[in-house]
Amino acid sequence: MKKKVLAALLAATMVFGLAACGNNSSNETTADTTAAASAETSADTSAPTDETTAAADGETITIWAWDESFNIVAANRAKEIYQAENPGVNVEVVTMAQDDIVTKLNTSLSSGSYDGLPDIVLIEDYRIQGYLTSYGDEFADLSSIVSADDFASYKTGVTQKDGVMYGVPFDSGVAATFYRTDLIEEAGYTQADMEDMTWEKYIEIGKAVKEKTGKNMLTLDPSDIGQIRMMLQSAGAWYTDADGNVTLADNQALKDAITIYKSMVEADIATQISGWDPFVGAFNNGDVASVITGCWIASSVKNAEDQSGNWAVAAFPKMEANSSSVNASSIGGAGWYVLKNVGHEATAVDFLGKTFASSTDLMNQLAADINLVSTLTAAESVENYSVGDEFFGGQEVFNDFAAWTQEVPTVNYSLHTYAIESIVAEAVQAIVDGADMDETLADYQAQAEAAVAQ
Amino acid sequence: MNSKLNRKAWLFIIPSVVLIAVFVFYPMIQAFFTSLQSGMANNLEFAGLANYKRLFNDSTFKKALFNTILYLVIQVPIMIILALVISSMLNDKKLKGRGLFRTAIFLPCVTSLVAYSIIFKSLFANDGFINAVLMNLNIISQPITWIADKFYARVLIIIAITWRWTGYNMVFYLSGMQGIDDSIYEAAAIDGATGFQKFKSITLPLLKPIILFTTINSTIGTLQLFDEVYNITSGKGGPANATITISHYIYNLLFRYQPNFGYAAAVSYVIVILIMILSFIQMKVGDDKE
Repeated sequence: MKKKVLAALLAATMVFGLAACGNNSSNETTADTTAAASAETSADTSAPTDETTAAADGETITIWAWDESFNIVAANRAKEIYQAENPGVNVEVVTMAQDDIVTKLNTSLSSGSYDGLPDIVLIEDYRIQGYLTSYGDEFADLSSIVSADDFASYKTGVTQKDGVMYGVPFDSGVAATFYRTDLIEEAGYTQADMEDMTWEKYIEIGKAVKEKTGKNMLTLDPSDIGQIRMMLQSAGAWYTDADGNVTLADNQALKDAITIYKSMVEADIATQISGWDPFVGAFNNGDVASVITGCWIASSVKNAEDQSGNWAVAAFPKMEANSSSVNASSIGGAGWYVLKNVGHEATAVDFLGKTFASSTDLMNQLAADINLVSTLTAAESVENYSVGDEFFGGQEVFNDFAAWTQEVPTVNYSLHTYAIESIVAEAVQAIVDGADMDETLADYQAQAEAAVAQ
Repeated sequence: MNSKLNRKAWLFIIPSVVLIAVFVFYPMIQAFFTSLQSGMANNLEFAGLANYKRLFNDSTFKKALFNTILYLVIQVPIMIILALVISSMLNDKKLKGRGLFRTAIFLPCVTSLVAYSIIFKSLFANDGFINAVLMNLNIISQPITWIADKFYARVLIIIAITWRWTGYNMVFYLSGMQGIDDSIYEAAAIDGATGFQKFKSITLPLLKPIILFTTINSTIGTLQLFDEVYNITSGKGGPANATITISHYIYNLLFRYQPNFGYAAAVSYVIVILIMILSFIQMKVGDDKE
């Protein structure tokens, strides 16, 4: 008898536990549809600064972004500015790894389920055209708060489809060489040597640094060939040509880039890593003497406070062998997009309109907080840009970033950057291991064409 | 009387049959139809056998297939043999602390796949615990880049899977060995058999059905390997797709690149066919009457 009672009790507990898990979602959606309806009518005027009643009280909008030291800080500052004028609106900023954001967006948008999706999401420039093509109706038209002239031209191209602006461009991904001045000097070179240099010179300096200090010059991730992407853009080229066709086999810039990549591996000046944390850890721990990537890495570099004063920033190296290559490139860079079917379109659009689409105060503050190089034209000369950065030895890094941004060649990323890059990463690995470059590229050209020929 | 029993029997079976048909067979058939279509995200159009033709020329798929079969061929035998050896050692009634050892070896099986993969990732990082230990013992002079090196990344995955699943198989063998009468071992001991001979001629043949079962189980599990590879290589599939498995490739096709549901379904059917073939072979091999 006792055993039966015990068994029945256990079974009942399990059933109740199961029932309790399922009930979360019903509360949220009903209150918001009425709020959105009333906000629509007042959101029609085009000047964002006039509206005071667009957002409804008690509404919560969710923002998803990655990089705790950069984008999340920006979202939180924007939240502070917005909530100062609209205290009734709750803004929830969620940090998620970029890969996770991509996965969740793809899953939820494909199945048409909006539960658990954010209202505002940060999407990288390389990906957005793909999203706009696959899920065009999910993104809100932001023409009311942003126009193409408000931002740098190489950014507005990617956020548009058929002439309509779907996103607010955010950060400049202008690439730069961040390096340790103390290690370079120990190797016998000066800061002047790092100015406007070529990759060949960079490798030479790297070998000296390895010899004299024992440290490697940079990290390389075999699965994430950002260096190749940057070298391509510095020469005005990409994995695809202007019409969007895959071009790997006859791509001279790609061949030059891979040649340089291979020499870096062969010169033994690179630490092989995999993933974001080891990447940041390598320069934070002082294991590598430089990092060449987008200016958005500045806030991660500054995490190592004990290295303050020992870093400087130089221009992106150019490829000597390639005449179109310049000392400027871009990597990454993203924009803010609104998912309109999640339920809070009006408030989300209003939020972006008052912060990232127009607020030069926000851009000024973010310049100081996270070294943001904004692409908002109105923010081109905010006062914090002329401040010397102590971490970088007093260098006025913003003026440098802004100047280099003007020189970044514009490139059409097309729709399938990551799919093609996965294939190119294999090709690069094969070539580094000794395969013939032309043959391998021709092989992989066919692969990539099949992969994008959906 | 018979028809009444039959009806009752059917009534008991029908709920399970319905559930399996709806949740397993129907999706399988629908996946097959999806594999005959192609297109980005929701823009699917009929494409006949184009997806299957594409499989033959897809180098990433071939890499994934190679890796998956490599893990299968190397990891499954190592794990089965290890589990057999451990369980025959633990079957010794005179061993003190048997319960403790059994629990310790089985414990990895109850850990979360993601949690232990992430811990392995940090243990085997360039500056992680394992490298520190190996360097301190002077076995190596430079830290091994476990995750960023083609060869060592695969070794790491195999170590991780073996660590986790050996205990699971060990439990099966231990319970199987309980069914073997002690008198057989005693008789063999009287005849002068060594430990190894006892193992080979008594334990193994008598455990054959269980070994067959665990081998098929492990094969199916390894063919669908995903969690460890995804988490240890931070979602990228190893240095330039060197450790990617078929399931991981399907995941990439759906969630990392612009989703192509049709092609992903076609790739998943490859796994189905592989499992069917391997299970069939294993059953035939295990079935020969003596």
